[in-house]
Amino acid sequence: MNMRNWTGRAVLAGATAVGLLATPVAAQQEEIVIGGSLPLTGVFAFAGVAVEKGMSDYVQIINDAGGIEGRQLRFVYEDTGYEVNQSVGVFNKLTSQNEIDLYYGDSTGFAKTIAPELARRGEMIMGGASFASELNNAEEFPYTFIAGPDYIQQVGILLEYIAEESPGASIALVNSDTEFGRDPIEATKARAAELGLEIAEEIITPPGAADVSTEVLRLRRARPDYIIFHGYVLSPIPEFMSQVRELGLDAKFMGTFWSMDGSLWQSVGEAADGFMGVMPYRYYYDDEAAPMLERIREMRPEYQATGYMQGFFTAMLMAEAAERVLKNGEEITGDTLKAALSTITDFDTGGIFGVPVSVKENAVPFGRVYVYNAESGQMEATSDWIELDE
Amino acid sequence: MSEWLFFLEVTLAGLGSGALLSLTALAYVLIYKATRVVNLAVGEMLMLGAYFFFSVAAGWGLTAWIALPLAVIGGGLVGAVVERGMIRPMLGENPISIFMVTVGLGSILVGTVELFWGTDPRALPAFISTKPLFLGEAYVSRKIAVAFVVAAAVIGVFLMLFRFWRGGVALRATATDQAAAYSCGINVPGVFSAAWIIGGATAAGAGVLLGAIGGISPSMGVFGLSALVVVIVGGLDSVLGALIGGLALGMIQSWTSTYLGGEYTSVVTFGILILALMLRPYGLFGTHEIERL
Repeated sequence: MNMRNWTGRAVLAGATAVGLLATPVAAQQEEIVIGGSLPLTGVFAFAGVAVEKGMSDYVQIINDAGGIEGRQLRFVYEDTGYEVNQSVGVFNKLTSQNEIDLYYGDSTGFAKTIAPELARRGEMIMGGASFASELNNAEEFPYTFIAGPDYIQQVGILLEYIAEESPGASIALVNSDTEFGRDPIEATKARAAELGLEIAEEIITPPGAADVSTEVLRLRRARPDYIIFHGYVLSPIPEFMSQVRELGLDAKFMGTFWSMDGSLWQSVGEAADGFMGVMPYRYYYDDEAAPMLERIREMRPEYQATGYMQGFFTAMLMAEAAERVLKNGEEITGDTLKAALSTITDFDTGGIFGVPVSVKENAVPFGRVYVYNAESGQMEATSDWIELDE
Repeated sequence: MSEWLFFLEVTLAGLGSGALLSLTALAYVLIYKATRVVNLAVGEMLMLGAYFFFSVAAGWGLTAWIALPLAVIGGGLVGAVVERGMIRPMLGENPISIFMVTVGLGSILVGTVELFWGTDPRALPAFISTKPLFLGEAYVSRKIAVAFVVAAAVIGVFLMLFRFWRGGVALRATATDQAAAYSCGINVPGVFSAAWIIGGATAAGAGVLLGAIGGISPSMGVFGLSALVVVIVGGLDSVLGALIGGLALGMIQSWTSTYLGGEYTSVVTFGILILALMLRPYGLFGTHEIERL
């Protein structure tokens, strides 16, 4: 073999190698990648599993429709066990293996921990499972968003409802002794005063507390018209309800988003009847016209939990922001994504919300009060959609 | 309502929840007393027992009176399998190694529950009446009263068994000196198995009672941490210590929650743990030679 042949073959081999390497890189660049630190095990796994399904389904809907401006979405995620250090580890791993544009974080702790890194990178924006009020600050958290009302706004929606239904009513606040649970307390007290509502009792329960007899005794002394629980998923709310009713108190029980899944309350049965709370999204089985809900029901014939709706809407906001960036002819970066997200006003969610919604600051402050009907086993709307101005 | 009546009600509520702590602490004590193993997975064994009950009562639709013994038997079986499969092969190893095995066991049990029953928190089918109970004028939650009576009865039975039953005497002998127990013809491995089976069954029973009050979830095993405080304060090898320590901690938690606020409950609980470890590491009623781990 002469030198010329050797050279020719080497060039050909090199070109082939470059081609083989370059092809997937080019394909990856065409994709818009959503990363996720998801709690698929651990104390918040019930939410993480549902969120994963919701996000994956919306990604599939977008991809089936041809992607965003011709670019496919890809969702990569790993389990965190709801541990902040694990969430950070997953973030580092996924971002080192993928060109990530959008991210789902699983806790307030992770959102706060990773915020400086998001700012340093400037490549992506992040939504997540946390509705922490602290995150609803575009100056402090410029690359973060909340796919619904923050916790102060959620309780604010409940207070608006109470003020309308029972002016001057007295309220007891029951919060878990966690960052999640304590989030809205001070703001709730201030807002209640503005609305002429009385805070008759404030109770903090230790995380993991099973027996609530002591706290129920305090409620018996305060005799509130409404009891607002925040910072819980299910336990110990049913035990509170059962014991308060045992004592003959005529209070109404309310909760916030993560305690509002209908299937959880189904397992409680008759004792759950009348539990109310704020829900930012429609329920899977709502029968008002909603093309996106119909699509979801086609994809998944069985009931999907509220976490599913949260994940679905988060992916929807992400995709909408990315689409607006590309339509503007801009490159996808953290800044362009966040700017695009902030332009979302009167957005038609296809019925995921019952009204067109807008992004205000870092959140989407819309919600509705639903009440659990033990007979039908479903959450039923008991208010119109409430939009908070602030 | 007078302040004294309120104080009495708060104290009764504390005694009730303390009884649950005592029952869970008993599972630690039974296993430690016989085998010198601090089983950190008691909380998770408790959780598994509650899920057994859930499966039988909600899944198969059987009554609580069938589901409860089945859950307790299931807990005992888990104890037997763990002892034969994980603990006995570790005999003679460093206590820290065995301790770490139980830490791993806790994770395995949580994973198993998530695999078979999913991750959603659930409520147990109601099997205890919710009609209010009044002692004189003082209100007590009926569920808490039932938990108190059951825990007191179970602990009373164990105290009697250890004193008068041959098996109980064999267990005490094994706990005191294994070599001497062997030489007296006591089946020491059999005692080990029995301790784990009874400990597992006790934890499962406590799990059903706890689940009936607060619902069940894969994370409910964290309750075992408070019970661990009880056994460290009461004495790792003392049944009486578990009883008194549990009731005392229950009352202290209840008073703290009422008069200081729920945010101080964990601070006070684990403050007591630190004090106990500093001042009396073998506990109020425990044997003095217990080492700190």
